[in-house]
Amino acid sequence: MKKHKQTLIPKMIIALISIYLVAPIIATTLYSFSTSWVKTILPEGLTFHWYAQLIANPDFVSAMIRSLGLGILTTIIAMTCFLPIIFYANVYNPGLKARLRFITVLPFTIPGIILVTGLIQVYQNIAVPKIIILLLAITLLSLPLTYQTLDNAFISRDFRAMFEQSLILGDKPVHAFIKVILPNIKVGIFVASLLTFTTAFGEYVITNMLLGGDFETLKIYMYRLMQSNGQASSVLTTIYFAILAFISLVLVLIVQKGSASKGKE
Amino acid sequence: MINRLKIYGPFALLIILVLLLPLIVMIISSFQAINGGFTLSNYHQIMTNQYYHQAIFNSLKISFIASICSLVVAVAGAWALTHLKEETKNTLITIFNMSSSFAGVPLAFSLIILFGNAGVVKAIATALHLTNHFNIYSLTGLTFSYTFFEIPLGIMFLFPVLEDLNPDWKEASQVLGANQAFFLRKVIIPIILPNLVEVFILLFANAMGTYETAYALTGNNIVSIPILIGSLINGELTANLPLACAFASLFAILMTLMVMLGNRLTKSKSEGAK
Repeated sequence: MKKHKQTLIPKMIIALISIYLVAPIIATTLYSFSTSWVKTILPEGLTFHWYAQLIANPDFVSAMIRSLGLGILTTIIAMTCFLPIIFYANVYNPGLKARLRFITVLPFTIPGIILVTGLIQVYQNIAVPKIIILLLAITLLSLPLTYQTLDNAFISRDFRAMFEQSLILGDKPVHAFIKVILPNIKVGIFVASLLTFTTAFGEYVITNMLLGGDFETLKIYMYRLMQSNGQASSVLTTIYFAILAFISLVLVLIVQKGSASKGKE
Repeated sequence: MINRLKIYGPFALLIILVLLLPLIVMIISSFQAINGGFTLSNYHQIMTNQYYHQAIFNSLKISFIASICSLVVAVAGAWALTHLKEETKNTLITIFNMSSSFAGVPLAFSLIILFGNAGVVKAIATALHLTNHFNIYSLTGLTFSYTFFEIPLGIMFLFPVLEDLNPDWKEASQVLGANQAFFLRKVIIPIILPNLVEVFILLFANAMGTYETAYALTGNNIVSIPILIGSLINGELTANLPLACAFASLFAILMTLMVMLGNRLTKSKSEGAK
């Protein structure tokens, strides 16, 4: 009974904060299903009409494809750039990790709007496809989350011994890395990939400033709809929230599975 | 040597192409006139122009209030989180980790749905014959909107700090006859104060750099530093890239100094403990 009393206040605080943070999402979701909600306490009726309308819109489909493409390509680039160096820093050169620490505060010191100012100044008159610059810039934006996740994946196992045994057995370094290291950190890579994908999928500032109307991603489309059509925009926002919720759910399941297996050991 | 290149190459190339080069060019360009010659006039304008002062003042005000309010809620939230079951903790931390993705355009739009001119609160108020004075498009509304990503961020930073506090200290001080308030004031607060300051600095820096939520919610109506930089770039005022660079350089340098200061605070604490 005493135990119960001890966790009651913490539970209430967490519940209040959660309700506060989730209220706008719930309101938007309800709104997206409502026929009309102007002067009543609850919507007057529920409908899928706005969903059918948006999903049939070719603008929606192409914006979705662009955002998905951006997410997948960024994830591939991010893994190629970060995996080798994070592996090397963890296994052979811990000193390097101290120098890489600057990465974790990058979003606070150089936020997107500052970075894009520099990017435009450098690349506006150079004949490089802007989409490549965009992909690289978003990769950089995803770095802090990716770095921390991958870094955690290397903790607690002797990867150096594994790697060197494989080298002694005659594997080339790249081969040994793929054959011995990757399978052992695949969960970490998967989590990092999901987070990178999410960052790229929802990027707005750099995409909008660098490519503007030429490359309408989901968020840019959302902003355009928001100015003209509240119902359609609420549907798009709800779909976007649903995608994020799905990714969160996958992450939660992975984390819980991980802590359950740790408990068994 | 070739292996080194394979390890560092892609990462180094990325950092140079989209971080170092843009930052260096940005700082150099901030000293350029529109015709290309050297000038200090960009910085001089920032110092003297009333409109720019307004942007700086708004940014500081919104960020300061939003960070303080969020920090208070985050302390309560992080404290509460440490008392929950392991599974619940992990689940909530994972979700808070995703919260920055919910910010921006979708957040602004959701708040407009909730509090806007044709929003849900308005509909309910009309149904109940109440009047509702809260204006989401105002400076207060904007500050309010920032708390939706600042609170989860604060909880994420503070949770590990509070989780690491040693439960033996509480017992020790109780044995020595200290009450709850004394324990909090003399033991806990001195220990976590540097962390609180560091988290405040990070929240403040995060709010200072927020463009997407502010732009989606209030457009160019409430001018802040990021909004000003944005409109100087895409020409909604008059495009003036060197001036945008000057603002951005000042911002980057000040935020870097602040965040370094915050880091040092917690670092000297952990070294002192040894």
